Amino acid sequence: MGGSQEHQKFQKAAMEKTLVNLKEGSICCSWNYCGQRLASGSSDGGLSIYDSIDPTTPSSSLRLTSSWKAHERGVEKVVWVPPEYGDAVACICNDGTLSLWEETEEDTQPLTWKLCKLFESNKSQALDLQFGVCLTSLKLVVAYSDGLVKVYELLEPLELNMWQLQAQFQNVTDSTSRFGKLACLSASVAWNQQRNGSQQSSFILGFNSDLPQFNSAKVWEFDEAHQRWLSVAELALPEDKGDRVYAVAWAPNIGRPYEVVAVATCKGIAMWHLVSDSDTDGRISKEKVALLSGHDGEVWQLEWDMSGMTLASTGGDGVVRLWQSNLNGVWHEQAALESS
Amino acid sequence: MPSLVSDPGESLVPFSPQVGEPVVYPLRHGLKPPFTRLSISWSRGNSLRVAFFKTPNEASPSSDDETGGKVLEVKLAEGGGETDEAQRRRIAYESVSAFAHLQMRRNSADSLSRMSYGSSSYRAEWWQHVMEYSKQISSILGAPKASSSSVIEDPKTVVKLEEEPTCLKAAWDLMEIFYVDKQARAWLPERLVDWLAGYDGLLSGPVDSTIYSKLLSLQKELVNLQVIEDEPKYWEAMSSALAVGWLDIVVKLLRLHGSYKLDQLGNRETENGLVEAVAVLVSTMPRMRPGLAAQKPGRCYDTKPDFFKAWEKWRGQIAKLDCSPFWVECGHRPTREGLWNLLQVMLGNTSSLASVTCHWLELCISHFLYVRHFTMSLEAIHSLAQKCMQLKPPSDSQWLTGLMFGILEENTEVVLAECSRVFGPWMVTHAIELLTADNVQADFLLHEERYNLGGISIEELHRIVYAQVLSSHALTWPIAPVYLASCPKQGFGLLEILLYRQPVQHDKTLLKNLEICRLYELDNISSCLKKITGMLHWKHGKKGSGVFWLQQAQDDVRLNRIAQQLFEFVGKSVSDDSFKQWEGLIELLGSEASTAGGLEFLHKYKDFKKSLQKVQDGKASDAARQAIEYLIQLMKNPSTPERFWLPLLHDSVNLLNWRERPLMNVSETNLLLSKLQELSLARLRPGFCDSHLPPQALSSVRLALATNLGRAILELKPQEDPEFRTPY
Repeated sequence: MGGSQEHQKFQKAAMEKTLVNLKEGSICCSWNYCGQRLASGSSDGGLSIYDSIDPTTPSSSLRLTSSWKAHERGVEKVVWVPPEYGDAVACICNDGTLSLWEETEEDTQPLTWKLCKLFESNKSQALDLQFGVCLTSLKLVVAYSDGLVKVYELLEPLELNMWQLQAQFQNVTDSTSRFGKLACLSASVAWNQQRNGSQQSSFILGFNSDLPQFNSAKVWEFDEAHQRWLSVAELALPEDKGDRVYAVAWAPNIGRPYEVVAVATCKGIAMWHLVSDSDTDGRISKEKVALLSGHDGEVWQLEWDMSGMTLASTGGDGVVRLWQSNLNGVWHEQAALESS
Repeated sequence: MPSLVSDPGESLVPFSPQVGEPVVYPLRHGLKPPFTRLSISWSRGNSLRVAFFKTPNEASPSSDDETGGKVLEVKLAEGGGETDEAQRRRIAYESVSAFAHLQMRRNSADSLSRMSYGSSSYRAEWWQHVMEYSKQISSILGAPKASSSSVIEDPKTVVKLEEEPTCLKAAWDLMEIFYVDKQARAWLPERLVDWLAGYDGLLSGPVDSTIYSKLLSLQKELVNLQVIEDEPKYWEAMSSALAVGWLDIVVKLLRLHGSYKLDQLGNRETENGLVEAVAVLVSTMPRMRPGLAAQKPGRCYDTKPDFFKAWEKWRGQIAKLDCSPFWVECGHRPTREGLWNLLQVMLGNTSSLASVTCHWLELCISHFLYVRHFTMSLEAIHSLAQKCMQLKPPSDSQWLTGLMFGILEENTEVVLAECSRVFGPWMVTHAIELLTADNVQADFLLHEERYNLGGISIEELHRIVYAQVLSSHALTWPIAPVYLASCPKQGFGLLEILLYRQPVQHDKTLLKNLEICRLYELDNISSCLKKITGMLHWKHGKKGSGVFWLQQAQDDVRLNRIAQQLFEFVGKSVSDDSFKQWEGLIELLGSEASTAGGLEFLHKYKDFKKSLQKVQDGKASDAARQAIEYLIQLMKNPSTPERFWLPLLHDSVNLLNWRERPLMNVSETNLLLSKLQELSLARLRPGFCDSHLPPQALSSVRLALATNLGRAILELKPQEDPEFRTPY
């Protein structure tokens, strides 16, 4: 049904509102936990913080409140630290360095953004990073251009400068083999955001590289008993294992008996169901329930809504697409947001 | 771009033809392409933030605008298209209590049935509770329906224009008739007659006209009409109104007939008699219903035999009038023909009915009234409706058609889909109560837990969807928890995430959110919010509030760290004035040893420093004695770290050399001396951490202690000193 003028009355409406104009040269941005602060990185190495003009209204416009030079070269990615650890952002510069900035007020000094940690890496570049709140500690996963993953743990809950490298490994299922030199274009990490802390901490990681073994998205879980990270599932069918992974996103779970993970490769966006099965010795049983295509070319980003029912994606076609599953469990494109 | 669904070859779920085309929303950002990238982020509920990053234009930098990009917030508000935002918000707020009340009743009914006590009777009465709920919601959706058949003072007004009824209310009332009102089932067709009388105007549109719109246009012209009975519209409007049972309008219009005018009564006696005869017949039409509103024409019968008898009699009168010789004497042709048409309607002439009605539902209703009075089953109504629709096909966009056929076909899924498509999540969430009120099948369908939906029922899914819509807006977010609390499986999971994503800077909102946590016993998230608040204040220089909130959160890990920091601070600069700043914090951290081991020491230390301050201010030697007592307590206490011993003693050198009299007795002095000795030995150990005191500190303390000891011995009375005491 639909089409005639009468239907216009009931057409679903999307209302857009401009929240802020970004500084010239901006190339990335990230919202804090409550969506009232926006951090943005620019091609000249600058970091900018925009704050709600009226924080009591959630859709309030923002204004620039702080801006400083964080790196010599462009800031490629900004991520907020979970709010339990204060107001802080981590950013990746395109020279590969990773820095952590915190807004604090000390003694008589006013509230300012300060560098609290610089993660050095020799030759490899940081490609993606994500924070995960695991039980009482804060963990940071960083994926590097040489195919290595490093997991850092915060030693002091009050101090964001005290990190310990907890583990480092390669995104491969067979850890004994040796691989040649690797060049990764991009990486994507997503934590399983468990709020109750009952489950093991786990994350998913995929690479966009020239070595097929590294690419496929793998679920890594921390084995408390042996204090090590284990690859518990590989989210790719045998014939797709070498596909370059553009983006991954782990859906929030508000009570489903299974986890939902979205993995974007050159073939489309795959939806996976993961079930932790106690009978199978900790292995996760996985099922690919859908393969969605819509974006022409690369998928830039995948984002789940709060309920984990709607997935938003952006890609090379410049369109935002929204994906949902219907009552029969069939995933489909529910809406598209196109620039006009 | 065509809609591309899960590839059936790749996925395990077969392709479903029910998947529709994606809705395309335009995004108006006013920026000139190209863009390097787009970035997205979900905000609360259904609002999505989209950031556009412009590709730097090297040819003409900063030509038209100096922005490097723009961030838009897109609210994917679904449905409720006919009502504006304020109206939707009002409805959302006002319907909460009715919904919550019904849930409460359901919970108590469920607990009763679990106790297998009176459950069946409760279930049987359930529809009455739903009826009450439905009436409440209906009254929220709008004022009592605009009656198209109201009799009012102004003789020229046939249709009363009141507050426009909404399709939302019309749809709600329609569902109430079919799903909840058990009493209505005995006279369903007449209920539909009433429903149409209230909402016929809503069926008209640019393509569809209705009897209501016909009457409206007549009303506009009435003032200008000199000889009303010459106007074909007048007669048409009356036949139409009669066909759908708006008897009062017909009677009223008939009495506007020129023959009633006093000056013409003499000339047009027969004509007037015929008009009046028809008016009398109209106003005595038998109706198969329990009652009519006061002063409404028509006679009611509530049993079939009574009605049938009266109907036969009434029909006999019409037939008699039809054959009456007076028609020949009536010279006014339009009157003669118009009245004859009215009689045809009353006689149930199907072609007449078809020609005087506009909408398929109007035709359907006219059949109920004049042809098939006893059409009661949904099946019969459905087949009649189908026939009527063939004669009068509706336009595609008719909101009613899909809903009505969903109801008549007893297809709950279609009804829900239509509610969702046309009216949005509010309607679906609230209407499910109607659908399941007295329908076991729908009850099963909507309450069955489905793996595809993540283990929840369709009912819960819709509540979650609606709660998401509510939480998209700050003004409606506070009512989202009510709906989430009614979701047994996933409601609290979402509520926790929603609460976690609320800002904590403002005490007022924070306290409100904590109250929600308390109400629903969400202790984890409550302490999480307190922790976030504590950290925010602590990091932003409001140390006191920081400690307060961390205590509220019972975050022992962080509190211990803070105590540790204070401890270290105190160790570094014992004589520093800035201790004052920390004093309040120590006070706030409380004396409970459970929170931090070092706290007990910090408290004593604070007391010691305070009394020392008093001594320096030149206050009496009482203060000095007090300070010494604190010093002894500190030195005796095992929780006092070794590294503080010397600074403590060094701070007290003045007290040890107190001019008036020695402040410590022999045993106290010996205690301190032994501590000093321990300290001297400890200095020899590797890894000893020296204080920042001058190198002679130790010796000056030792000297002072020795002096004090000497003075104390001299002051000692023999009987007081156990060492001098001799046994008897």
